Amino acid sequence: MGPDLVTIDRIRRVVTRGGARIARVREPANDWRATLRRRTLIAAVLLGVWAGGIEARLLSLQIYRHADLVTRAARQQMRTIVAPAKRGDILDRHGRVLATSVDADSIYAVPSEISNAGEAAGRLCIAFGDCTQRERQALTERLGQSRAFAYVRRQVPPDQAQRVAALNLDAVGFIKESRRFYPNKELAAQLLGWAGIDNVGLSGLEYAYDAQIRGKPGTVLIHTDARRHAFSRFERPPTSGSSVELTIDEYLQHIAERELHAGVAQNRAAGGSAIIVDPHTGEILAMANEPTFNPNAAYRESQEIEHRNRAVQDLYEPGSTFKVVTASAAIEEKVLSVDAPIDVRAGQIRIGSRVVRDTHDYGRLSLTDVLVKSSNVGAIKIGFLVGTERLSQYVQRFGFGHPVSPDFPGESPGIVWDPTKWTESALASVSMGYQVGVTPLQMVTAVSAVANKGELVEPRAVRAVYHGNRRYQVQPRVVRRTIGGDTAALITAIMEDVVERGTAREAQIPGYTIAGKTGTAAKLVNGRYSKSDYNASFVGFLPSRDPAVAIIVVVDSPHAGTFFGGSVAAPIFRRIAESTLRYLGIGPTLNPAPPVIVARRDEASGRQTAAPETAGPFVSFVADGLPPTMPDLSGMSAREAMRKLVTVGLTARISGDGFVVSQDPPAGAPLEAGGVSRVTLERSPARHPSSAPQP
Amino acid sequence: MFERRLYYHIDWAMLGAILALCALGVATIYSATFDPTRGASHRYITQVYAIALGLVAMMFMLTLDYRTFTDKSHLIYIGMILVLVYVLFSGKEMKGARRWIMLKGSTLQLQPSEFAKISVALVLAKFFGENRGEPQPPDLLIGGGLALIPLALIAKQPDLGTAVTLLPVFFAIAYLAGMRMRILGVLLLAILLAAPVAWKFALKDYQKSRISTFLDPSQDAKGAGYQQIQARITVGSGGLSGKGFKQGTQGQLRFLPEVDNDFIFSVLAEEHGFAGVLAALGLYLFVILRALEAARLAQDRLGSYLVLGVLASFAFQVIYNITMSAGLAPVKGLPLPLMSYGGSSMIATLAGFGLILNVRMRRFTN
Repeated sequence: MGPDLVTIDRIRRVVTRGGARIARVREPANDWRATLRRRTLIAAVLLGVWAGGIEARLLSLQIYRHADLVTRAARQQMRTIVAPAKRGDILDRHGRVLATSVDADSIYAVPSEISNAGEAAGRLCIAFGDCTQRERQALTERLGQSRAFAYVRRQVPPDQAQRVAALNLDAVGFIKESRRFYPNKELAAQLLGWAGIDNVGLSGLEYAYDAQIRGKPGTVLIHTDARRHAFSRFERPPTSGSSVELTIDEYLQHIAERELHAGVAQNRAAGGSAIIVDPHTGEILAMANEPTFNPNAAYRESQEIEHRNRAVQDLYEPGSTFKVVTASAAIEEKVLSVDAPIDVRAGQIRIGSRVVRDTHDYGRLSLTDVLVKSSNVGAIKIGFLVGTERLSQYVQRFGFGHPVSPDFPGESPGIVWDPTKWTESALASVSMGYQVGVTPLQMVTAVSAVANKGELVEPRAVRAVYHGNRRYQVQPRVVRRTIGGDTAALITAIMEDVVERGTAREAQIPGYTIAGKTGTAAKLVNGRYSKSDYNASFVGFLPSRDPAVAIIVVVDSPHAGTFFGGSVAAPIFRRIAESTLRYLGIGPTLNPAPPVIVARRDEASGRQTAAPETAGPFVSFVADGLPPTMPDLSGMSAREAMRKLVTVGLTARISGDGFVVSQDPPAGAPLEAGGVSRVTLERSPARHPSSAPQP
Repeated sequence: MFERRLYYHIDWAMLGAILALCALGVATIYSATFDPTRGASHRYITQVYAIALGLVAMMFMLTLDYRTFTDKSHLIYIGMILVLVYVLFSGKEMKGARRWIMLKGSTLQLQPSEFAKISVALVLAKFFGENRGEPQPPDLLIGGGLALIPLALIAKQPDLGTAVTLLPVFFAIAYLAGMRMRILGVLLLAILLAAPVAWKFALKDYQKSRISTFLDPSQDAKGAGYQQIQARITVGSGGLSGKGFKQGTQGQLRFLPEVDNDFIFSVLAEEHGFAGVLAALGLYLFVILRALEAARLAQDRLGSYLVLGVLASFAFQVIYNITMSAGLAPVKGLPLPLMSYGGSSMIATLAGFGLILNVRMRRFTN
């Protein structure tokens, strides 16, 4: 088409359609190229707009929302499975296991694959063998839901797991979990506390040291495709929790619990506590509570009152045992001398409208005898002489009114009233141990300060924490000096008299000097002092001139006729003390016999006489409950060591190879059957069997 | 036939861009179908063969004058209709659709509907190119009818996606031939009015759910909205520079379906990021604009309309696929031409570009 043609065509259009259209320069219909140009331009512009829009969208997705979408991609491609860490063990001071974690199967089901929930639940229950009706119903309900996962039962014993596995149910599977196990059952139950089904410490030391014991959970990252096929995994293994070594001695704990239990039963009491402390280091060797529970059983099967660690959580009015504080203040402040006569005539004293009575009219008593006879009138008179300000100072110095140990998160601080508000009556009450609330641990700590020549040491239940392969020891901490050494010696002498000729004669042990003080305090029931319910207590230390242990026994509401500290608590104290002395190998202090026990222990640890049952005189101690001793394994091969350990009922954790170079517990240490020992072997010619020295 | 001087008028720039896109497609197919455990799949090799065949087809389209093709367009059109009818009755059935013809004695299969686009472009170019002046309603009806017959046959296979790509061919040619905008407006209005009716009677349930989940993918995140959400995640996790070649995860882990086909652009976005996407988008825009220029430069109406007809279905697919891959359009099984895996599509597309190059190359010949 030539240019002429176009011109002619244009003219023709103008002519036929009229001049009015000339101005609009409307393209002729057959001027296709112009139309094309215009319309392709429009198309190109629209295309540009579209491209701009898409780019904006891509910017928004790829830059602005990038992070969010990357996480979403990762979330659907990665499955994270948390692998819980194994909780650390709780050991006694000799490495005997008090709490450990064992593998246990948890049984789960895929309810959506179960057609008949009732039947499946029935079969599972038969396999368990111990389903209650309610449990069975709940199980039926869980299996009836259309979900992909439901626990059937968690952490079951191996025999149950086996029986369930034998059912061969398609929709039922097993998960390995770690279950907390307390091999000694009730032993130190409240002190150790309890770790729940998810292996989190819920009470006691399990809770207090949860951060250390729990360890760090590991993760398993599993790369999955859209059909949930895993094809690569990345594991960060869990770090096992630290083991915690307690100051507790399993054997002493057992003694304390046994005697407390017997004493509480004998006196038909509501409960009680007993604590054994090393007064020099503050180490708690035993802490027993009654009633108690078995932490291996389901928690809900026991009652709250059984879970409570009364020794640190329950307050009681100490009564006469508190007179030790009053007397300490009087002597340290030189208000009175030990022999100073105190007039307690008429056996009663009137404070305002209140009358306080003694059991007898003693006439005139020395300060010593006020404690020996436990005269309330005398104590009040001493208290008045000391005065509110000074007495309250000593109450605080001895640690009352504040928590004394960091190891018990639920520890009660006790109740000590604001001294500025003490009335005369309050002063009188405090002087004889009323109107103050203390825990057994506070009381034994205060008396331990006397035993420790006036220095108050922080009581501890934890001795060391094992982190990795290192042992981090807790150092004893002296909190403050309460009284001078001289005063402490005088108070000790007074307390010896209390046992020797006073209210606590039932605490006597032939051959040993014992310092102690009884306490009998009416319980507050509904705001009034009860006439039938008392707290009977005894606190003391022995041997009094070189104390090895301080012991407190508190019995709640004895109802078997007598309720006095001297007749209820002192005998329990004596029985605990006797066993403790024997166990610790402390010879009599009064008419010292040759130190036989020490000699025998040395002998027992010798390699040649390793078998404890062959050591003749030793048998008498075993008869009293003393456990067999740890044989000396040094220089033995792993096989020999194992054989040896089996004979004394121990299991061993063996590390290394070659010959034994070290062992824990050390040779000669007393053992309980079923304990676990650690044995380290090394392949070193220097340590060859026959010439192996004691590690 | 193929004069030597024509050689100098081939649009080498456009051809270069087309080949670059093909190469990008092969690389992305290789990466997307790479199985971490089983290694590379054979698909990328098949794709290379398809490109080679496509280039042969392109050469063939270049050697003859495009007017030769348009002159025979009615024969080609009738032949194509016959093939489509044949496919409908005795084509190979896969995934519930009869779309393919098995070539005798081989495992090769051909998808005739891909070639229908070229044939419709040829016949419409001829029809509107000969028909002087502004297309009048009767012209539009006849032209529309020419597009609708194969469309209906393809939709019956069923392959709604490919069928719909025939519409842009008709509209583009009619529009550029000067169809009144008023008519276009009336048509749009009619479609809008017909939409609810179509919703009620014509669309299948899965098609409805695709549209409704497009409006709100999260309402059925694991069902119909799944692909769209996955496409968004895939594109978004690419970021600015991408995860790198073969480092994409969404496709390899099979979270995103059809990674070598409908969603190849999403995979590209994941592995090469915003930068890679910008490059691909730029290449496509360049190819489309270059083709528009070819239409503008064409020697005659016939050539222009032919270029535009071929370009229309190509551009429509590119625009729809990329919009869908970015999560802005309902999911529809439309491949991305030049990049997606698929032999018939590749050969037909390259043959189509042969025609476009042909028109541009012969703009000075008579």
